[in-house]
Amino acid sequence: MKRFITACLIIVLSVLGCMKQQQHSASKTIGVSLLTRQHVFYKDLEEGLSTAAAKEGYELILTSGDFDLGKQSSQIEDFITRKVDAIIISPVDSRGIGPAILKANDANIPVFTADIAAQEGNVICHIASDNVAGGRLAGEYLAKILSGKGNVAVIDQPTLTSVLDRVQGFKDAIAKYPGITIVADVNGEGRRDKAIEVASDILQAHHDLNGIFGINDDSALGALDAVQQFNRKNVNIIGYDATPPAVDAIVKSTALKADVIQYPKKIGETTIGEIRQYFSGASVPKVVPVEVGIVDKEALQKASTP
Amino acid sequence: MPSEASSGVLAKPIGKITGEFGIGIALLIEIALFSQLSPYFLTADNILNVSLQTSITAIIAVGMTFVILTAGIDLSVGALVAFSGVIATSVLKYPFPPVLAFGAALVSGLMIGALSGLFAGIFITKFRITPFIVTLALMTILRGAAYMYTDGRPIWGLPEEFSILGSRRVLDVPVPSIIMIVVYLLAYLVLHQTRFGRYVYAVGGNPEAARLSGIDTSRVILSVYVICGSLAALSGILLASRMNSGQPNAGLMYELDVIAAVVVGGTSLFGGRGSIVGTFIGAMLIGVLRNGLNLMNVGSYVQMVVLGVVILLAVLFDQLRKRVGA
Repeated sequence: MKRFITACLIIVLSVLGCMKQQQHSASKTIGVSLLTRQHVFYKDLEEGLSTAAAKEGYELILTSGDFDLGKQSSQIEDFITRKVDAIIISPVDSRGIGPAILKANDANIPVFTADIAAQEGNVICHIASDNVAGGRLAGEYLAKILSGKGNVAVIDQPTLTSVLDRVQGFKDAIAKYPGITIVADVNGEGRRDKAIEVASDILQAHHDLNGIFGINDDSALGALDAVQQFNRKNVNIIGYDATPPAVDAIVKSTALKADVIQYPKKIGETTIGEIRQYFSGASVPKVVPVEVGIVDKEALQKASTP
Repeated sequence: MPSEASSGVLAKPIGKITGEFGIGIALLIEIALFSQLSPYFLTADNILNVSLQTSITAIIAVGMTFVILTAGIDLSVGALVAFSGVIATSVLKYPFPPVLAFGAALVSGLMIGALSGLFAGIFITKFRITPFIVTLALMTILRGAAYMYTDGRPIWGLPEEFSILGSRRVLDVPVPSIIMIVVYLLAYLVLHQTRFGRYVYAVGGNPEAARLSGIDTSRVILSVYVICGSLAALSGILLASRMNSGQPNAGLMYELDVIAAVVVGGTSLFGGRGSIVGTFIGAMLIGVLRNGLNLMNVGSYVQMVVLGVVILLAVLFDQLRKRVGA
């Protein structure tokens, strides 16, 4: 009898052991190489990745390229050597990361990019903010402030694809309001010093200007500098990214009225979601846009006083 | 007139006509053209706008004129605008009493410029490395330093008073425009009324002859880079004040705008020939061009092409003038 019980126990334990081992092999390891771990945006993105991965039972190896392509490339090589189940990259350099992705492709490890796309190599899915939707939100908000009529301008940076998307969305939204005319679309190079210059010129050429869309916060803040320096009262500015200085300007009731805000945490969560889809064998779209929002003074004050 | 030191007697009047005078006429034609094309161009508000916008590069162009007169070049000025701006604004954030903070910010910003110029000057005179290479290296060092120092983010939340320097107006004239005029007047006096000014022309015109006649050429060269660095820093502080923040990406490619202004103004890249008045007109010509094209809603790509053509024409002019003079 004793022997029988012992035998049973051994069988049960070994079955349990096998099951446990099986469970262990089912758990996936994902290598992550972010652009940086310093900026708030990437900290939030990282948090999104971590919480979603914990929920799925995935193990994350979190690293950061710290704006150094060489460092990021070797991190990815390490992931390949460790035979991780998937790799998430926010490339330091869209073009330069190509060779590292190709190496992962050769090792049959699926690659996902978050926030910043890669230009070379086979990427299963790219997850980033929906810039077209962001531009549309900015356009709709501006149209609302202007009650559907007025003259507006865009402080542009037409050399970036993400910006082209934002401006496209903005123009789509404005097109729905026949009373609003886009009178100027100028290149502020995404820099505050250049934005002041072109915004000053626009203010000279269009004394009846009512609105400005800045494609990022440096553009919007440069427009704000110009509006303040020329003491123009009836110009409303919409920015993009909700960086601390822009949020400060919105709260202080300046001409900067609202900012499009990205949700990096959601980008992180969505990335893990798409990886789960891929692991389960379901088809995954090449690009997944993540929703964005818009914040004005009211929304910001509500957020700061919970 | 030392500005024509190397030319013959006959060339003087011709040089004058096609030089400063020629570029002055070009500016007038440009102004006449734009005032016809845009109703907003020739308004008091816009003229002050152009003077404000141009002041930043025009002030640096004074320093660059000194450097180019000695047959040198300084590519680091744009990066210096950024670095001095972030240094000055970060000093401003220290919890000093307001007046002290203001003074410390100004002094530290200007010191950065002077030191950077001194550094370039030492490499050029002591180690005999060409100015192009020294200042090219300095350009990337300073730009990188500005990004490192700020972690790539702007320095903001500065005391309101700081914006006085860049945004206040005195009798409707913006403060940077007034500073620009003062800098030009001083530079004119130094260049045309002092021994140092004559040395600058002499060193650029014929360094060997200058040395043989007892001029300490190294000291003159060192000085022009210190002047250029200091003026770039002054512009950097003014720009930071206009933006009410220290931006590590400020002043990108300013070196090209500044060199263009100096060359369009008739100063020869081979040194020894040129004038501060020419540089002023050159800076205005480029500033007015950009403003006029913006007022007319001309796209940025077209503007780049037009600016390039204007620079080429100006240098062509300079060449023809030299041929007439020879």
